[in-house]
Amino acid sequence: MEGRSVKDPTAAWTVIARVSDLDAKRPLLPITLASGRYVLFRDEEGELGLIGRHCPHRGADLCFGRLEDNGLRCPFHGWHFDRTGQCVEQPAEPEGSKMYTQIKVPMIPVKIVDGNILANIPEGELSQ
Amino acid sequence: MISQELNDQITRVGPGSEAGRVLRHYWQPALLREELAHGDKVPVNLLGERLALIRDASGIYVLATRKASADEKPTHYPNARDIVIDPDGPAYPVTERNGVIFAYMGPGDPPEFPNFDCFRAPESHVFAFKGLWQCNWLQALEIGIDPAHASFLHRFLEDEDPKESYGKQFRDSAADTNIPMTKILRDYPRPDISVDETEYGLKITALRRMENDLIHVRVTNQIFPEAICIPMSREMIITQWHVPIDDENCYWFTMFTSFRDPVNKDLMREQRLKEHALPDYAPLKNKANNYHYDPDEQARLTYTGMGLDINVHDQWAVEGMGPIQDRTQEHLGRSDVAIIRYRRMLRQAIAAVADGRFEDLPMQRGESVAQISGPLSNDSIADTSDWQMASHAADMARRSACPWDARV
Repeated sequence: MEGRSVKDPTAAWTVIARVSDLDAKRPLLPITLASGRYVLFRDEEGELGLIGRHCPHRGADLCFGRLEDNGLRCPFHGWHFDRTGQCVEQPAEPEGSKMYTQIKVPMIPVKIVDGNILANIPEGELSQ
Repeated sequence: MISQELNDQITRVGPGSEAGRVLRHYWQPALLREELAHGDKVPVNLLGERLALIRDASGIYVLATRKASADEKPTHYPNARDIVIDPDGPAYPVTERNGVIFAYMGPGDPPEFPNFDCFRAPESHVFAFKGLWQCNWLQALEIGIDPAHASFLHRFLEDEDPKESYGKQFRDSAADTNIPMTKILRDYPRPDISVDETEYGLKITALRRMENDLIHVRVTNQIFPEAICIPMSREMIITQWHVPIDDENCYWFTMFTSFRDPVNKDLMREQRLKEHALPDYAPLKNKANNYHYDPDEQARLTYTGMGLDINVHDQWAVEGMGPIQDRTQEHLGRSDVAIIRYRRMLRQAIAAVADGRFEDLPMQRGESVAQISGPLSNDSIADTSDWQMASHAADMARRSACPWDARV
């Protein structure tokens, strides 16, 4: 999937999409920032998540993930992430494994203003 | 996670590279025999080198260097008449086994071929094909030694009739039951995986503990350096190489080997030509068209939404990692135990080649390579208490009933 590129953000809060862009049966969009590739999705509580696009396990592309169980699930091994990027389930790991608690993908805060979705681009990634 | 330096060391394969030197100590699948129809010069792009299969002055096939421009695409496949041989470049010996032409690009004499089933079965019982994946060969290999992913990536939310399964992976019923493999994979997603080093590479055993004290045993293999040998159905196994074209592209070469009836090659070829474009065997579903991803299908039928062909699922998984997986960001788990063991073997081989200890390489240790047979690859279901014996017995039963000599 081609990521939507946000070029040279100059403010910390930068428009990355319209809310209406997520008006689809599967509300998910690839977003490319200067710092890397992300995936924007809406969970079952209606909240937005902007998290790293590659699964931290072996790098599969989460833009093709399964939007289910109030988060995004990697189709490769079923690792499940919530909107903060926290891994909440690793269904192929042994029963009782707590490894998932240590796994988090990068997350960028987002908010909605006037029908736009804004991301809080970290300062180091703003163009001067 | 590993360092960038280590990731480069184990992935890059051009001339003089460390992993490339290891691969060059083994016969490499270079092209399918059916490609000979292309003409008197057949382009081959292998291990970062631009080559062509030709006959030398004495009429013997060799893999010679061809002249190539720097901006050629990695799978460039020129017409025979447009191929110009570079007489100053290296030329490599080739030999054919059951429809695949192998090349030896390393120093000294080529090694012997092991007596694997795909090599010793008669031509009638082996079908060979290949396909392009646009990614580094190592991530392509690593998905093949990861028994857990089949419970997710290849999950079918419904089971089809196993009678429709001919020539397809995971679509038969399991062992001697009427349970579709797809159901077992779906119902038991947390396999207990163990790995044993063998003379040829790794034996990987995945146990799925079922109800009523039954256990599903799936035995697969890594064949050093870049192949796997896995069961496909009760009748057939797959031996598959992940052969680098360059650092960022590879071909899978598969030899499907039947222990029972002659392979229906017309049907198997037709199934695969529906999914690939010639002459470069590029899959029709690919990154450029999102693998025909369909979110509705993903919701109701398959885990990926990319159709029923499991090759496409694997292709998506490995291409989506990027041209060379960034292993500085990975987090391997218990389900990746075979990958961890494989990388250790590869690093040991890299060190052996660097030190000139070629006799320390797997299948080159001075043992009689021709005595290495099998390897055993199968699915079986057994009582929990005797699963090891039952798994072995299931393979022996298949081998003893085989019309060609499949004894091990």
